Amino acid sequence: MEKRDIELVRALQNEEIFLTERPFHEAARMLGWTVEEVLERVRGLKEAGVIRRFGAALTPRNAGFKSNSMIAWDVPDLRAEEAGSLMAEHPRVSHCYIRPRFEGFPFNIYTMVHGNSPEDLARIVDELAALAASSSYRALHSLREFKKSSPVYYPKALEPQDA
Amino acid sequence: MHTSIDGLDALILNRMQGDFPICEDPYADIGLALGVSGQEVLLRVRGLVDRGVVRKVGPFFDARKMQYVSTLCALHVPEKRLEEVAAVISAYPEVTHNYLRAGTPNLWFTVIAESKAAIQKIIREIEEKGGAGPVRDLPAKKMFKVKVDLKVGE
Repeated sequence: MEKRDIELVRALQNEEIFLTERPFHEAARMLGWTVEEVLERVRGLKEAGVIRRFGAALTPRNAGFKSNSMIAWDVPDLRAEEAGSLMAEHPRVSHCYIRPRFEGFPFNIYTMVHGNSPEDLARIVDELAALAASSSYRALHSLREFKKSSPVYYPKALEPQDA
Repeated sequence: MHTSIDGLDALILNRMQGDFPICEDPYADIGLALGVSGQEVLLRVRGLVDRGVVRKVGPFFDARKMQYVSTLCALHVPEKRLEEVAAVISAYPEVTHNYLRAGTPNLWFTVIAESKAAIQKIIREIEEKGGAGPVRDLPAKKMFKVKVDLKVGE
């Protein structure tokens, strides 16, 4: 990433600016750029996929999704890609990955699933089992949240100081 | 549906999860589409943030496109050592999620850093400081979806 883009990424990580009327003006002020320069570069980063999405993120349980779980599935490797892409299309699946299996844990596809109630979650899991053609899974319900934060890219402290 | 989310909140949420306008007056833009003022949209969004419905508004970066590397890790920690080991793990800024989950292993956390080597270093340190046995490093072999875009009020 170019230095200018790194500066822009840093400015955009100040989340409070997005709760003001004109967020990109705020970013421009922080950077000493014109708002046109900010908008053009933000669009550029979005087009390049560096920004994969711009918008609001929910806390599912506070938005009516009371039953959320990470479900890990055991799907034969030959069918894993197909099963993963089918499950990812389910509207109540937010994350879907293939990961390595390990000793005592034969599951290779991880899905984050969001339901309105335990019954709703069970229904979704049934639908996913049909899509994956597998009934071998483990529900890794979260019992306690120790940490949940957004990653910080290019923290300023890591920047070499000019002499 | 959450009782404190009304029809306009749901419309705003469903629109804003998808795409925040990249323009000078994004809230006015959203308001125009929904038939309310930009100020009204912004007030609603601030309210949703205050009530914890919205966790963040802004850009979501593709870590890989910025040459960052991420992984999911798991280890098993006996109940009586849980607080201590979880605190060691959560102290790393590179650890963004850390959850106690049902079953074995029971502690699951994500690490995002500037290189695989940096991740390996953190994992080794956690193994040494945590003293709770080996950490399973489970980097994604394939990512199909990473997007919380849940239709509210359906």
